[in-house]
Amino acid sequence: TQTVIRSSDRLCFALKSSILPHQGITESFGAAIQALNAIHLTDGVITRSKRMMLDTLGVGLLGSRTAVFSKALKYSQVFTSEQRSSVWGRSDVILPPHYAAFVNGIAVHSMDFDDTWHPATHPSGAVLPALLALAETLPSQPSGLDLLLAFNVGIEVQGRLMRFSKEAYNIPERFHPPSVVGVMGSAAASAKLLGLSPAQCSHALAIAASSAGAPLANAATQTKPLHIGNAARRGLEAAQLAQIGVEGNPAILDMDSGLGVYYKDYSPSPLADSDSGAFRWILDAQDVAFKRIPAHLAMHWVVEAVLAARAKFLDRTGNFDLSQIQNITLRVPRSKYINCPLPTTEHQARHSFQFNACSALLDNKVTVASFSQAQINRPALRELLSKVQLETPEDNLPSFDRMYCEVEIKSAEGLSSLARCNTFYGHWRKPLSQKDLEEKFSLNASTVLCTEGVEGVIDVVGNMEKVTECSVLGSYLRMTSTSEQLYSMRIM
Amino acid sequence: MTRVEKPHSDVMQDCKRNLPFLLLCHKSISILHCSAAASKRNKKQDHCDRNLKSCSPRYRKPSDQCGLPEDCITLQWRLNNFYLFIPAVQKHPAPEDTVTASFGKFISEIKPQHLSPVVLHRSKRMVLDSIGVGLIGSRTDVFELALQFCQHMYAPDHISSVYGRRGIRLSPTLAAFVNGVATHSMDFDDTWHPATHPSGAVLPALFALSDMMPANSKPSGLDFLLAFNVGIEIQGRLMRFSNEARSIPKRFHPPTVVGPMGSAAACSRLLSLDPSQCSHALAIAASLAGAPMANAATQSKPLHIGNASRLGLEAALLASRGLEASPLVLDAVAGVAGFSAFYEDYVPQPLESPDDGGHVFLLEEQDMAFKRFPAHLGMHWVTDAAAAVHELLVGHGLGQVSPHQVQDILLRVPQSKYINRPFPESEHEARHSFQFNACSALLDGEVTVQSFSPPAMSRPELHFLLSRVRMEHPEDNPANFNRMYGEVQVTLVGGDILKGRCDTFYGHWRNPLTNESLRKKFRSNAEVVLPSEKVERLVEVVEELDRLDDCGALLSQLQ
Repeated sequence: TQTVIRSSDRLCFALKSSILPHQGITESFGAAIQALNAIHLTDGVITRSKRMMLDTLGVGLLGSRTAVFSKALKYSQVFTSEQRSSVWGRSDVILPPHYAAFVNGIAVHSMDFDDTWHPATHPSGAVLPALLALAETLPSQPSGLDLLLAFNVGIEVQGRLMRFSKEAYNIPERFHPPSVVGVMGSAAASAKLLGLSPAQCSHALAIAASSAGAPLANAATQTKPLHIGNAARRGLEAAQLAQIGVEGNPAILDMDSGLGVYYKDYSPSPLADSDSGAFRWILDAQDVAFKRIPAHLAMHWVVEAVLAARAKFLDRTGNFDLSQIQNITLRVPRSKYINCPLPTTEHQARHSFQFNACSALLDNKVTVASFSQAQINRPALRELLSKVQLETPEDNLPSFDRMYCEVEIKSAEGLSSLARCNTFYGHWRKPLSQKDLEEKFSLNASTVLCTEGVEGVIDVVGNMEKVTECSVLGSYLRMTSTSEQLYSMRIM
Repeated sequence: MTRVEKPHSDVMQDCKRNLPFLLLCHKSISILHCSAAASKRNKKQDHCDRNLKSCSPRYRKPSDQCGLPEDCITLQWRLNNFYLFIPAVQKHPAPEDTVTASFGKFISEIKPQHLSPVVLHRSKRMVLDSIGVGLIGSRTDVFELALQFCQHMYAPDHISSVYGRRGIRLSPTLAAFVNGVATHSMDFDDTWHPATHPSGAVLPALFALSDMMPANSKPSGLDFLLAFNVGIEIQGRLMRFSNEARSIPKRFHPPTVVGPMGSAAACSRLLSLDPSQCSHALAIAASLAGAPMANAATQSKPLHIGNASRLGLEAALLASRGLEASPLVLDAVAGVAGFSAFYEDYVPQPLESPDDGGHVFLLEEQDMAFKRFPAHLGMHWVTDAAAAVHELLVGHGLGQVSPHQVQDILLRVPQSKYINRPFPESEHEARHSFQFNACSALLDGEVTVQSFSPPAMSRPELHFLLSRVRMEHPEDNPANFNRMYGEVQVTLVGGDILKGRCDTFYGHWRNPLTNESLRKKFRSNAEVVLPSEKVERLVEVVEELDRLDDCGALLSQLQ
């Protein structure tokens, strides 16, 4: 009898799905999140997502020593729970999973050093902190492959949602994209790791949509890193609320009054069935950009162009004397929130074409240290800033796929030097070599971790698909470099 | 207790430990402001120590904490170290003439004497009603899920009380969350014009925050009411930045937009933050604002109010720790949206300084609507109109309404998609259905808490009536709570036509509930959860709230 019931169930199911002419968009997302499997991961996607993980951990470790991180951590420490998740780069702090996701997400974006995708968002910071915080609390430890799969689900959902609006292809003006799609990505990834049903996955997205959307005005302030921290935290929360049975609108992605509220030209489409052969990971077709300086992505074009123009200028004049410079013209896309002529805080400096151009001109490089208050306040730099003119040519579009930067330096004697950057090193068209990516990671991570920790993380992430328990990553992330903590580590 | 035993030799720590006492003492706060020039750590310590000495004895904190029970010491240590922080030294004073700065200044500088008798009276009615709907809401499924979530995800934290759950306390932001969920769980809470549910975002946050403060220095009832009114006023002012916001919304659910801002403002006021911190609290809250309308009529809608309350409190606490955000968040800046991201037609206005004497609270001029049954406000017009038809039908012959007499039901209501639901399937959908509420009232003569129970919702005669409903959206009936009406026209099988119309339902701001009706509603809600002595005590305490030295008398009655 059992077999009969089962086959009739299947028949019913088959009938139902043939009766329904088309699946809802949200429904297709819920189904895909549940159905995607490790066998669907391609080699290309595995390689690229491992690079994203390594870079995210590095910038997160470095970010765990920032002022905004400390404030958020102190606030988060009021909360306790039986489930405990670690804070990256802290051997001594344990937080409830939501708050671990929150502070680690803040760390990742605290310096604006994390990856950027096209259309523009910072995809990893919303996902990885949520997943690692959640993984630590699960009764059976996910494997490295489980983690990679959930991570890619979180990235994929963000990429799909970004493509629901043409407007989203450009540098934003209204909502900060990671606050819109990031929380959805975190919810999807968390739902995947929790093994939720297709319906629960849809509800997780619906609940997460009510936590989405932060205005762009808070870019270039301490609150911007909170956008990523909150995306990670509240996506995880949404998945767990869905798990215990909370429901939202099951058509949240289908409606203008759903996720559509965050866009002016919302046009959603379903996610292909992962088994139909029509499914392709966006990450396979569109790689991410990795930053080489802790600043808004657009600054990277400026810095490369300025360095080239500086070298030419030096060739002509023989020596570099700032007082010879009469004016500096930057030809960049029009985008108000990264046009900041006289930044006073590090967060403004990370969002200032002018500051990054002048720093590069003055120091022949832009580094983590360039954004310290002392460096920002240098009189020589302020002097240079006063000589900058910004031009926004019509053909220079505010899109990370199409923008360029042109720099012209003119001296009092009428000498001029012109340079242009179309694609900086680190952009998806010109990706960082694995060696440079690992070097960036090592530099960032070693500010916090001991050598063993740094190498351990590189090793685990590099072999992620073969790791049996992803928790091993957490143990390396706690190997801090102070001698006292090293000592206690050895005793253990 | 482990936290108490942590070593903290740092003088700064000791200084911080005493802070709630400073923060609660207005005199010392002003002294702290004077010390704003002290930017270095050690200077802050000096100032802090000096401030301690200059505090009035009532607020003096014995450094050895002797005489306090152990639990109390734990609690205080935690409060002092984690929640509150010295008002940050202002490195970059915000330009005085921005809209954002004017809001920060208003929140920080408004005083109890600025509350008129009308405002006090109206706001106390809101407090009473909000507690009542919160109490009955603590028996709903969605509340149960929210509470379960907090208890499952977090360790017990005996600080802030949960509506109607004796012995259950949570961390302040979590208590604000579940109590906010309770308040909106049945859509029974107050509605203002332009449309938002103002109290549910503010009151739970203020309760949670007051519970956090040491027992011997709780805010007075008047301070509490002032903070509450600040939270309401800020929401009202922000709603007026957009003409679009005057109509029933289509994109963002208003309590998720203005609610976190109101909660942040109220909590900043209760924490006595300085003007710059108040404006940062608003800006931090703006990044936590905004949820799509599509989640209306689902379990996620009550979460909107819970989150507004929780996240506004969180924003104020983060601002009190010195976290900074955009100083222009409320101003209109082309190309970089702030709060304007939530509106299509955003025109911000600065808030007058309370000291210039020109400020009038919006609540003085625009009273609140209180609901008589737990459903979307728009349902109240159509329900009253249908109840009138019910009377006619009953008079028409049979003494009770027989659905099969009914040939056709025509509802003339405003066009608003999310409250047009011909066959609602869940209680949440039923609370957002013109059709359901009209038919329930036709059948029963009224809509009550019980109308949304599964047995009432599944009645065949109700479904028969639902199948007879048609809707019209006349041009002159706009989706606006100040101008809409509800008309119900029933055609009987014999061809007779019965009509009912409601222009202003009882409970609307033009036809407000009497104190007696309001208390009756409160009692019937609260008695579901609390013993009647507590219910009566709550009525009394709220009535005399502005004269209470210590709002603890109110806090102690909520469970």
